[in-house]
Amino acid sequence: MGRTTYLQGQKAAGRKVAAVWPARYPAELLWAHGVCPAEVWDPPAGQALAGAHLQSYVCGVVRQGLEFLLSGGLAVADFLLFPHTCDSIQNLGSLVRDLVHEPKPCLFFYPPRSGGSERAAVYLEAQLRTLSADLTRIAGPLRDGALEGALALGRGRTAAVSELYALRARGGLNASNAEFYGAVRACEYLWPEDAVLHLKAFTKTHAGRQRRGVPLVLSGVLPAPSDLAQRLDGLGVAVVEDDLLVCGRRFARAPLPEPGDPWKAVAARLLALPPCCTTGDGVEDRAAFLAEQVERSGARGVVFLALKFCEPELFQIPSLSGAMRARGIPVLIVETELGTTTPAGMMTRVEAFLESLP
Amino acid sequence: MRVASELRFRWMKDVALPVLLKARERRPRERPRGESPLGPPLESTRSLKRLMTRHYALARYAEGARPVAWVTSGAPVELLRAFGCYTVYPENHAALCGARRMGPEICAHAEEAGFSRDLCSYARVDLGHALSGLTPVGRLPRPDVLFCTNNICQTILYWFKELSHGEGIPLVMLDTPFIASGEGTPEVFDYVAGQIKDAVPALERITGREFREDRFHDVLRSSIRASALWGDVLATMRHRPAPMTVFDAFVHLAPVVSLRGLPSCERYYEGLLAELQERVSRDVAAVPGERHRLMWDNIAIWFALAPLSRLFAEHGWAGVAGTYPNAWAETTHYLDLADPFGSLAKTYTLIFLNRGLDYRLGLMEAMGRDYQADGLVLHSARSCKPYSVGQYDLRQALAQRLGIKSVVLEGDMTDFRTWSEEQAKTRLTAFFESLDG
Repeated sequence: MGRTTYLQGQKAAGRKVAAVWPARYPAELLWAHGVCPAEVWDPPAGQALAGAHLQSYVCGVVRQGLEFLLSGGLAVADFLLFPHTCDSIQNLGSLVRDLVHEPKPCLFFYPPRSGGSERAAVYLEAQLRTLSADLTRIAGPLRDGALEGALALGRGRTAAVSELYALRARGGLNASNAEFYGAVRACEYLWPEDAVLHLKAFTKTHAGRQRRGVPLVLSGVLPAPSDLAQRLDGLGVAVVEDDLLVCGRRFARAPLPEPGDPWKAVAARLLALPPCCTTGDGVEDRAAFLAEQVERSGARGVVFLALKFCEPELFQIPSLSGAMRARGIPVLIVETELGTTTPAGMMTRVEAFLESLP
Repeated sequence: MRVASELRFRWMKDVALPVLLKARERRPRERPRGESPLGPPLESTRSLKRLMTRHYALARYAEGARPVAWVTSGAPVELLRAFGCYTVYPENHAALCGARRMGPEICAHAEEAGFSRDLCSYARVDLGHALSGLTPVGRLPRPDVLFCTNNICQTILYWFKELSHGEGIPLVMLDTPFIASGEGTPEVFDYVAGQIKDAVPALERITGREFREDRFHDVLRSSIRASALWGDVLATMRHRPAPMTVFDAFVHLAPVVSLRGLPSCERYYEGLLAELQERVSRDVAAVPGERHRLMWDNIAIWFALAPLSRLFAEHGWAGVAGTYPNAWAETTHYLDLADPFGSLAKTYTLIFLNRGLDYRLGLMEAMGRDYQADGLVLHSARSCKPYSVGQYDLRQALAQRLGIKSVVLEGDMTDFRTWSEEQAKTRLTAFFESLDG
């Protein structure tokens, strides 16, 4: 079933649909309000309409998201949510609401940049309540116990994703890179219960000895272009871990504190996600996280997918790659863009990297 | 060691530098002013040069004598002044490097270290300087603390984190949530004010100095006055003919960015304002025969400031307003000595770059009317996303609301490798002709 058909089904079941731009947002709160989030990372879209609004130096995630919206690809959505991930998404949200005059409601969410401080937690909780008030206007009020229920759904989904990642890292998943990322990225639009069923079915079907290949870790925003995972399969790469913003950086790897207050729990879950440049975490934290993934998966190197014009990522890549090299981990940095076809030159570089690995 | 540094700093500040600067001023001008379409240059420019030369020259001797802070242009520097910090603004330094056409040379060092050419060129200049030591000002002092606020962009956060990581320098960061609509909420201001309060013990620890509330209040008073004077300076351009241009404003904003909160900054703007008021009273035009008035959006193209200024003047165009120079006069009215932390939070959170585009549109519309602009130039700065993303639609909206024509210049603040002078000239000439036609 395609994404749009699935989301139409969600609406038929009485839920609202939110088109959500990357990257971090309180999914539990949306679920608690009966909203099914559908994330907008790299939708299939050209460049024709967005070019009238955005300069050529704006990143593909922002350009294609706008293109998809303007070309009617998000007609199924009842409203749009723009988490404040970077300067470009910040301005995109405002542009869509204030100057393009998108008729659907546009909501905003600001993940604090001041780390795990108490002040950040307090501010985050206040923001969650403000967002909830906005959601109430669109999707109706929170029912008693709805937030607790949504938190349980979130725990279930995290557990299913974690199990899949752990299985892959241990070499116990007989799935291609393309199959793996297809399965995990379905969580971008599936209702959490459906996501859990989907992930469990995938895990069951693909449990088994891992296909042979050179074990690598991917780092970056997302596996782009869209055929990249498949092309890596073709080269004999077995991606065994990632700190991709779209995947591995969005679920907690360790058990989370569960405060009794559900609002604090939603805030705590967001603050406990793996270190990320978009929320202001430093290179040291991210390097430690990445090295841990390399170690636990037995990867032989890290491939950094440097998404063109993505400032948060591009700033950290030199230090992050340096930190990996300092630990004796081979690294390759390749520039990527959204699209459907991985350039031959990029694949040649990956091939050369594989040959150079000790 | 500290005593020796202190003595050296004082000797430079009170004895050597004043003598050196005076001697330098006595030297005849290297280049006599030739034919120019511009009006008489501002006398205050000499004071400006003296002030900024002194600032950068003295900076070399600040290490060890004063706590040195590297600061972002949108940060509440008033707090640092209360600790007697010597402040250096990497953005101002990058602009200077841009104006001296050193941008690509310094950026190349950052690029060689792996920083993408698509990143902010101010950041690349700064990181390139950190790696190479290249600078037109001799030397920048090593900071004891980095002080950063993300109200102007998120880039600043990545950039300062990188400096902190690379150089092992403590970073004090204030997170100012984006105000997508409205005037901000108490939760936002409490969050920001709380962080400013938290910065006090952190700075006490780093600088080894005690926070002095009386000094803090004096600095705030001075900052309020300097920003108000800067606002008055800009307001003189409402007069027809304008006594200075937006290109002058780009140059003369250096003290309000870098020296805000110091008496020298106030004194400087008192002098500049007096000169401009005198020009207004005599109808002295910055662009003789001023025929059209334009508003400039975005940061200056520092390496092309002089040729652009001449080109505009040749066509009888006076740049009379700019969103960028206005930023340092925009929100200081929120500062309140009765509530220093809360009002600092408001002042620095509510700047236009930290607000939705509807606010920016309203601000530009008001400026267009107030300054009677009949044209708009939008500098689409390749490496400044928060300023540039949305400009195409702002342009359309302003055309409708103000009935003015506009032109977009694709460029950058410091990196002229992305700039085509001929193409810009052709576009601007066609734009001027369309207005005259």
